[in-house]
Amino acid sequence: MTSANTGTEVGSFASRFNLQQYVVYLGFLAIFLFFAFMLKDSGFLTVRNLSNIVLQTAPVTIMAIGLVFVMSAGEIDLSIGSIVAVSALAAAVTIASYGMAAGIVAGLGAGILIGLINGALVAYVKLPSFLVTLATMGLFAGVSRSMTDLRSISVTNETFTGFFGSGSLLGVPSLIWWTVIAIAVGHLVYRETRFGAHVLATGDNARAASVSGISVPKIRLAVLTISGGLAGLAGLLYAGRLQAAKYTLGETDLMTVIAAVIVGGTLLNGGKGSIVGALVGSLMMGMLNNGLILMGLSVSDQMIVRGLIILTAVAVSLRDKSR
Amino acid sequence: MRKALSIMTALASLFAAHAFAAEGVTTGPNGEKPVPAASLKLTSAQEQQIKDGKFTAALVWHEMSEYTNAVNAGARDEFKRLGIEVVAQTDAGFDAARQKADVETVMAKKPSIILSLPVDPATAASVYDPARQAGVKLGFVDNCPAGYKQGTDYVTIVSDDLFQMGNKAGIAMAEALGKKGKVGYIFHDADFYVTNQRDGAFKKTIEQDYPDMNIAAEAGMADPARSEDIAQAMITQHPDLDGIYVTWAEPALSVLSALRAAGNTHTKIVTLDLNEPAALDMVKGGNIAALVADEAYSIGVTLARASAGSLVGLKAEPFYAVDSIAVTKGTVKGGWKKSLNKDVPATIADAMK
Amino acid sequence: MNASAPILQLQDIRKNFGGLTAIENFSLEVFPGEIVALVGDNGAGKSTLVKIISGVHPPSSGTITIEGKPVTMSNATMGRAHGIEVVYQDLALADQQTVYMNMFLGREPLNRLGLLDRRRMIDETEKLVKELDVRIPSAHATIRDLSGGQRQGVAIARATHWASKLILLDEPTAALGVAETAKVEAIAQSLKQRNVGILIISHSLDQVFKLSDRICVLRRGKQIGVRETKKTDKNEIIAMITGLQQQ
Repeated sequence: MTSANTGTEVGSFASRFNLQQYVVYLGFLAIFLFFAFMLKDSGFLTVRNLSNIVLQTAPVTIMAIGLVFVMSAGEIDLSIGSIVAVSALAAAVTIASYGMAAGIVAGLGAGILIGLINGALVAYVKLPSFLVTLATMGLFAGVSRSMTDLRSISVTNETFTGFFGSGSLLGVPSLIWWTVIAIAVGHLVYRETRFGAHVLATGDNARAASVSGISVPKIRLAVLTISGGLAGLAGLLYAGRLQAAKYTLGETDLMTVIAAVIVGGTLLNGGKGSIVGALVGSLMMGMLNNGLILMGLSVSDQMIVRGLIILTAVAVSLRDKSR
Repeated sequence: MRKALSIMTALASLFAAHAFAAEGVTTGPNGEKPVPAASLKLTSAQEQQIKDGKFTAALVWHEMSEYTNAVNAGARDEFKRLGIEVVAQTDAGFDAARQKADVETVMAKKPSIILSLPVDPATAASVYDPARQAGVKLGFVDNCPAGYKQGTDYVTIVSDDLFQMGNKAGIAMAEALGKKGKVGYIFHDADFYVTNQRDGAFKKTIEQDYPDMNIAAEAGMADPARSEDIAQAMITQHPDLDGIYVTWAEPALSVLSALRAAGNTHTKIVTLDLNEPAALDMVKGGNIAALVADEAYSIGVTLARASAGSLVGLKAEPFYAVDSIAVTKGTVKGGWKKSLNKDVPATIADAMK
Repeated sequence: MNASAPILQLQDIRKNFGGLTAIENFSLEVFPGEIVALVGDNGAGKSTLVKIISGVHPPSSGTITIEGKPVTMSNATMGRAHGIEVVYQDLALADQQTVYMNMFLGREPLNRLGLLDRRRMIDETEKLVKELDVRIPSAHATIRDLSGGQRQGVAIARATHWASKLILLDEPTAALGVAETAKVEAIAQSLKQRNVGILIISHSLDQVFKLSDRICVLRRGKQIGVRETKKTDKNEIIAMITGLQQQ
């Protein structure tokens, strides 16, 4: 973490890493140290296991970036899990007939298109995003089921599976590249561009944003489209990693993504958030899954402990925010 | 000429017999012939060798249900008996991506054995490859990853005897009706290997083995949520049915409520799976006559035993099937124990007093 | 008083909403460096007038002239483009953002890379709050952590930074305590030196008499009259507001 800074940058870093956002880093560190100590003989600290955690959380991290934008603008996107399945299936089916490039376009295009539909309904028909995406979540869960009649579709194109899943570049697995690039770009756009500032202003005070000349509907459309596109990318990553697509992909991810984003210091009501925090939140969720399994707990005990830890993390970060 | 004819007749009958045999037993996902699970035994020398090996195992389940719990308990008990430590247990929530992550995660503990039920057999190879390549002994319930070879890639598959379950349901129905009468048949109207085999076996048993019984009404159920409507229609059109077969216990409860609403106490229900409300109706002398259940606990025991044996050179058969039992009013207590390895729920125990 | 040309000129402004007339025959001139107060009871049409001047609602008839040029406006962005800034009653600040981000909300400067030029925003904010003597902890402070008076100061500073012609202050001290009100009034006074016109809407006649050069009274959408502050008194203004003038 960048705490030691000099001169002119001190101010902006102080606001970037304020107390609320430290909660997630401290929590992450505490859980890491706990597992490192408890599981020192169980392979937790091996490079293989730690890199597995990053690989496994890559799709969740990518979706979390999108949700940070959406929640910062004061909206919510419940449809991301369904988008993952539709995009993965669209990509898998298209790759089989038309090759890799068309498959990527189909997968990302499906995500962006669903995001645009969500966004248009929220921005221009002026429906609440909670209800719109609740409906599209169900709608596209149905679409993903009917697309291939519940069948799973194999992805045999090795360039694709290497690029999005199992390959590596310079000795670093492709999923880690995707995570790093998405976080870097997401953070830059969120923190350092006019668009990012307008997203925050919209979520903070839509009227103020509006009288300041920010097109609030355009921002709402944009964040939901970004979220859809990133969920589409997550779908490609799943398809590449699993070398197959199925309607169940992403189905259980929504709650993990929301938890990662909130634990990472993004406010549910908008106006404040952190991309890096969401990454750490997502890694924390992955690390929890991994560590609790390695501790040899039964499945039900894992769920209880995981729930309690998430509850604690959310309580600490939210309590601090509403002081 | 006559000779040729007789040969042809003989051939035809042979084919017919073969066809019947093929349909009349459960086969594995790759057409394997079932071997009774009870036939799998370890010698005391093998058991000692396993105990000395200080092996470990991980349980990578597809989801958690009462059924998985029973399989899980069977596996854990057998591993305990053999001195094998269970180092991890996971639940993929029917998500293949999560199951892949689970396999990767448990590999950190370097287990000797992984027992699992593949969420999606068609694409499961990428899920289990990290374990297979590391030489972990893989034991599967019901299905195996497409492309895997038994003996080299995995140890064995253990499953229900699906045909036997349907067959026992047919026999239980015949017993309940005194081997004659009109039967309604509510089957699972979907392309699903498990239910299709069981439903087909029930129908075949009634049609072939009980000449005085006939299937008077048939209805396919695609959506379990609509089972009550289907039952309602069947009862309205055929109020004189003596019995109704329902493909599994949840929809059977809808049929039960439809019968109760119609004031019908004479139509008997036979269904599959143990289920507390259904069993309660049965012990109270209601419409439910029998529940056929697999020995899920034995699946776990058999799979654990075969996988452990493979560590000390035992060659397992490709496909083991466990028995099923028809549970009736008189056999609820023992049946519950045998199937789920649990005591019968208190409500049912109380009702039997 | 500045004898130069008016910076804002409203002529025969009329505004109808459906069949209702909200404003009629309203004419007013504001000169650079002058503070004009707009007073009137609730429902007299003050907020409609604010919206017309800031560009949110175009008038049904009449003309708006800025520095001698007639303009037509249909939204606040156009108003801003003509150099008119409004300090809204609710301040229109994004509470969880920093002071400097609020100062430049919607008009953030970019550096050569097309990214936010934070350095410039911070420097300009610090310079301005110093000039206006708005006492805030720093340009990095979050609005939420400021007092009511400090927030008002930030909102006025923002308007001052961007207004080249006219600043509209809508009830600037309605929610403030005594000390904070005095502070904001001092800031408003200091704006006169910037050679822009200032239109202030206030319920407090004390404040109006303390700050303004002229007072314009509205009642039920009609302009009752404009008085030079020095040549009138509270009784006359109250009479005009309540309609008891003629007795």
